[in-house]
Amino acid sequence: MNPQSIAEQTSPTNGQSTVSAPAPATPPPGIPERRKTVRDYRTPPQPQPPPHLDDYASIIGQSNLDSLRFLAQELKGKSIKMVNSTALGGGVAEMLNCLVPMLTELEVTTHWDVITGGVDFFEVTKAFHNALQGNEYQLSKHVEEIFLMYNEQNRQRMQFSEDFVIIHDPQPAALVRARTDSSSHWVWRCHIDLSHPNSAVWGFLRPFVEKYDAAIFSSQSFTRQLQIPQYLFYPCIDPLSEKNKQLDDATIQGVCDEFGIDRSRPIVTQVSRFDRAKDPVGVIQAFKLARKYVDCQLVMAGGGAADDPEGVAVLQEVKAAAGDDRDIIILDLPPWCSLEINALQRASTIIVQKSVKEGFGLTVTEALWKGKPTIASAVGGIPNQIIHKITGVLVHSVEGCAYQIRFLLTHPEFAERLGKNGCEHVKENFLMTTNVKRWLLLCRILQGKKAVQLPA
Amino acid sequence: MTESATVQEQPVRLAELRSKKPFYFNTSEHLLRIGREKATNLSELLDALRQCPVESVFQHTFRTLQEHHFIRHGFSNDFAQWADSACNESALAEQLASVDVREFTSLEELRQALVNILQEYVQRKPGAATRLAEEPFYFCVADIVVIPTAFAPDTLPGFADGLRQVSVHSIHHHFIEARLRLKLMSNDFSQWLLEEMHLPEPARAVNRIDIYTATMENVRQQIVRIVERALQ
Repeated sequence: MNPQSIAEQTSPTNGQSTVSAPAPATPPPGIPERRKTVRDYRTPPQPQPPPHLDDYASIIGQSNLDSLRFLAQELKGKSIKMVNSTALGGGVAEMLNCLVPMLTELEVTTHWDVITGGVDFFEVTKAFHNALQGNEYQLSKHVEEIFLMYNEQNRQRMQFSEDFVIIHDPQPAALVRARTDSSSHWVWRCHIDLSHPNSAVWGFLRPFVEKYDAAIFSSQSFTRQLQIPQYLFYPCIDPLSEKNKQLDDATIQGVCDEFGIDRSRPIVTQVSRFDRAKDPVGVIQAFKLARKYVDCQLVMAGGGAADDPEGVAVLQEVKAAAGDDRDIIILDLPPWCSLEINALQRASTIIVQKSVKEGFGLTVTEALWKGKPTIASAVGGIPNQIIHKITGVLVHSVEGCAYQIRFLLTHPEFAERLGKNGCEHVKENFLMTTNVKRWLLLCRILQGKKAVQLPA
Repeated sequence: MTESATVQEQPVRLAELRSKKPFYFNTSEHLLRIGREKATNLSELLDALRQCPVESVFQHTFRTLQEHHFIRHGFSNDFAQWADSACNESALAEQLASVDVREFTSLEELRQALVNILQEYVQRKPGAATRLAEEPFYFCVADIVVIPTAFAPDTLPGFADGLRQVSVHSIHHHFIEARLRLKLMSNDFSQWLLEEMHLPEPARAVNRIDIYTATMENVRQQIVRIVERALQ
């Protein structure tokens, strides 16, 4: 890509600020003075070594770490296998990259295997993925055979001698046919929304799913009625990752300076891909309505426009909706700009997630973790995170969103209370350490070691 | 011995007094299982509440207080929260929120109290009973695992130290969930202060702490203050 073509630019047809990254080390002539400190984003940062459990003590408390160690001790000598379809990219791989080292540090032997397959297999599984989330799809015998053939190939290649086998998502779901030893426990971890699946695809997969000992979903609303127990494991964030770790004020200021954001005025931010499901145009409409009464800037930080034709179109729609408004700052960032996203979230006065369709909504989790008053739509897993008027506010329309922006900007004490509660809610429910605890508890319960029967 | 001398000597004795049984600080952790029941309106909520396992009643009342221990004001139980935010029935929400879990030593009694409120409301407002909620109510079940901690004090200073260091989950376990185990209108802390340390006043003071106007961290601090005052 020509660096000049991706440089920060002001559209000749409108005056709103649009920053595309990666940006050149030297800013092109003509850009505003306040943005001459742009960094070179072309090189992704070096991956950081995974943190150690003790690093989390200051966040969750020593007593919670002790509980993790106690639960892990009971699993000493046991082993876990995690199987998914990709080692890099996507939320599942990101989560396993953090979870596996933590379980290993707790001396619970954990292996992570990735299934292999040809292009035809991954075309089928992508179609399954979309169909299970409600898309139309014609399931054929041929497609079923491709799916089963690659699952069989992987079954023959892999060993399943572990005490607990955890299969992530639909792609490797048929590996359960390898189950022979009744002493091992098999669990299906479903990361997608199964609330309205294509009936043919779900009808094909369901018999495999019901061969497991348990299924895990990310939200109550994503589940199906099954004959096996279903557990609720919320997705989680790592508080020590680049995207969520504490930042000093100089770093936050530096990022704001780079993108021309004025920290002396209120900042309203939405972080998400340029995708219609995130309703970016609705956010701009809400911002414009709110700004009739309160002074503020809007930051729309996201990505996805570089490699997604629809993303390009949506970005154009967003620019058109923004018009010549210089208080709307549109940032098209590459996926490795986690630190910049972190800084933008921390610089924000309010964070918005006005999606019309959503998975769990981890950008909401990130906002809450940073103690930001958050306004979000009541879709997908967001109501699990936002308890209305307690950990944030839920909205259902552009006008509702606009009103809540005005209200929170003019009631900072209420906004601060929402932010504090939101942060505590994440600490209790949506951190990686809680996720580790859930896995340890599940393994213990599957072994029949449930300790307490409640008296009626 | 004069009266003032007795008073002066008492703190020394109390601080050194050892209980026959130590206070074993435990904590409880929970795994959420998704239940079979689901409600899309108040009438369905009433039916599901009648039929759900007691573990679901526990989850949406006792356990949700642990999950939301950081909220000082405006959160009582999941049923009240749903009636308000998803059904927009603030009068019903107020009634459901006023059900104090500490008034119950049995989950079946608690279930019946909630059923009575809902039943009376839907009879009085049949239009509200079948109006579709903004989002469904999904019943969940808590699978509970009790975990020991490193703290097992047999003195009051050790007890105060344990209180300061255990997690808020441990405070919830001993202070709120204990009622179901003890089948008493009391809690593990008060019972130990009364039976092992023979301190009826601090035991009563601890039992009077209001969990609905304080976070669980505030509750911890209040208990510590009561113990510290007893030691002075």
